[in-house]
Amino acid sequence: MKQDFIKFPLHVILRPFDGFWDMKYEAKGKMRVALSVLFLVVITMILQKQYAGFLVNFNDPRYLNSLNDLQYIVLPFFLWCIANWSITTLMEGEGNFKEIVMASAYAMAPLILIYLPTTFLSRFMAAEETAFYYLLNSIAVIWFLFLLFVGIMTVHQYTAAKTVLTMVLSVVAMGIIVFLGTLAYSMIMQMYWFVIDIYRELIFRA
Amino acid sequence: MLLKKAILVLAVVSLLAIDAVPAAASAPYDSYTYNYYEDGVRIPAPFLPDRSVSGADLGVGDFVDPNDMYVTVDGQIYILDSGNRRIISLDKNWRLIREIAVFDNNGKEDGFANPGGIFVTEDKRIYVADTERQRIVVLTNEGDLVNIIENPASDILPRDFKFVPLKVTVDKANRVFVVVRGVFEGLMQFDENGAFIGYVGTINLTQNLWDKMWRLVATDAQKRQMRLYIPTEFVSVDIDQKGFVYSTNIDLETQKPVKRLNPSGQDVLKRFGRHPVVGDVRYRIFGNNAGPSKLVDIKVLGDGMYTVLDSFRGRLFTYNDEGELLYVFGGKGTQLGTFKTPVAVERVGDKLAVLDRGKNSIAVFKPTAFGRSVHQAVRLQYNGNDAESVKMWKEALRMNANYDIAYIGIGKAMLMEKKNKEALEYFKLGMQRKYYSVAYKRYRREVMKEYFGTFLTVLMAAVAALAAFRLTKRGRTRRAERREAGLY
Repeated sequence: MKQDFIKFPLHVILRPFDGFWDMKYEAKGKMRVALSVLFLVVITMILQKQYAGFLVNFNDPRYLNSLNDLQYIVLPFFLWCIANWSITTLMEGEGNFKEIVMASAYAMAPLILIYLPTTFLSRFMAAEETAFYYLLNSIAVIWFLFLLFVGIMTVHQYTAAKTVLTMVLSVVAMGIIVFLGTLAYSMIMQMYWFVIDIYRELIFRA
Repeated sequence: MLLKKAILVLAVVSLLAIDAVPAAASAPYDSYTYNYYEDGVRIPAPFLPDRSVSGADLGVGDFVDPNDMYVTVDGQIYILDSGNRRIISLDKNWRLIREIAVFDNNGKEDGFANPGGIFVTEDKRIYVADTERQRIVVLTNEGDLVNIIENPASDILPRDFKFVPLKVTVDKANRVFVVVRGVFEGLMQFDENGAFIGYVGTINLTQNLWDKMWRLVATDAQKRQMRLYIPTEFVSVDIDQKGFVYSTNIDLETQKPVKRLNPSGQDVLKRFGRHPVVGDVRYRIFGNNAGPSKLVDIKVLGDGMYTVLDSFRGRLFTYNDEGELLYVFGGKGTQLGTFKTPVAVERVGDKLAVLDRGKNSIAVFKPTAFGRSVHQAVRLQYNGNDAESVKMWKEALRMNANYDIAYIGIGKAMLMEKKNKEALEYFKLGMQRKYYSVAYKRYRREVMKEYFGTFLTVLMAAVAALAAFRLTKRGRTRRAERREAGLY
């Protein structure tokens, strides 16, 4: 338990090359840990929006909605995984979908580890000190992106250049998926209303 | 029978109560201010329409296209009835004193032609910007000619320069500041004898990057077709007690249509409010009624406050000395208190008067309890009387709990009194992050000072306890070892 949830994720984020290797080939990564990380990131973001200090919190409290945070993190996460999986399958990636999900999720661990303390500390900061808040949060994001890069590279056994290429392509693919999704949605709605209209017409004429 | 009577009384009382509600909200316009998120937030009306004054009411015949009015500090009112080529002078109770239509110019009878602006000094000299005759006429209060400023001559003026004055204001040293049509260099400044001194308050221009790039690739022929980059003209001026000139200009792109010029001509208006001093900060971009405010007149109310008049939507914006928007009221329409073409705003005692060229009348507004308490609070705070101002701000808050300015005002007063914790609360309510940070730093130091001694004592005690524990433990083990070794 402690090994899965604490020791191994820490190992991954501190020694990513080694850690992701172990995750793929020693089967040390666990899906339930990955999903817990994802869930904790959502909680972290909600906490940050709600409880970050007044000086760094520019959210309009009238429009805060935790469900939005949930859908704006979980949906893009899986969208990313699907897009990356579709691209890498075509580009001789060795990772399967489960490994992509795990690598991406474990890479998000620094966000939790840094955002939570900075959120707490920001409540005791004056305006001059908020620079540290932004610095630390930026470090968290850079760390996350670096881990994601290493994770994808290890999982698919790519070179660095190919990893960058596939990551960019994945983002493009995400856009395409969203576009196709909206297209399909609007077409289905058209069909739905067509059937409904015909039904109404029949009802009114009969 | 008794019951019937009671019901009747109740009905009458309830009718009275119903009647009381619309009377309290009878303003024909919305009053609002902007919150942190640039949303317009409704507030109780700071001013309510009091009366309308037309030429017929004064017994001088209808005004025709009046262009300007001025009210002296002691309440004497001067209306520049341009279409009738006359000045109407009234006392503070709106009773006619005299009309000035003609004056004696070296034996010849002379008059105005479509004059645009009027100003009256403290010693009751009347300055009229006589637009079509291209001169400024200086008269005594009785209408006798003192001086005429015309044909300014200087090396920096072109030979065929046309002096078309629109508005005029005069400082305590009798220097004259004139808004002149077609002059982009700034306000023209004249000395007390009417000699041209120079320009003040030049509006700086900055080309944006996009325009610069276009000019770089454009051919000469294309460049000639392009819009010229010239600054906009000023449209109105006023002067405060300290001799600072306030001006407005209509420039739809600038963020600084309101200026406060110091004697050397630099803009020193404080813009510490959360929104720029531009009138409306949120407006439609396309369609009906779209576009920024057109600030056609400015009036210094004293104690740092000033009101600007937006002729486009017929609104009055009042700011305090820090450039924070206090309130907005007014609108277009035909009811009393709404405008057609408002051209000038003046202060008459604690009331405001707006001259409407479209309606040929003057609308007078009287402050409500809310408006009065806001004014009072700003005045007290401006003069450094923070403790008293808190009372008035709380009075304003009692009538409008959404009034951010009041929270900020109380916060500032608390900060002055070193009540840092209370100040924190108020700055948070007023969404003022800059002052919040100042208050927070002080409060944090206070708390640390208070608890540092206790904290250190506890820490030392804990360290000592730990050390003692370690020592005894070590002593015990050592004794045990020795006992095992059979030393005892």
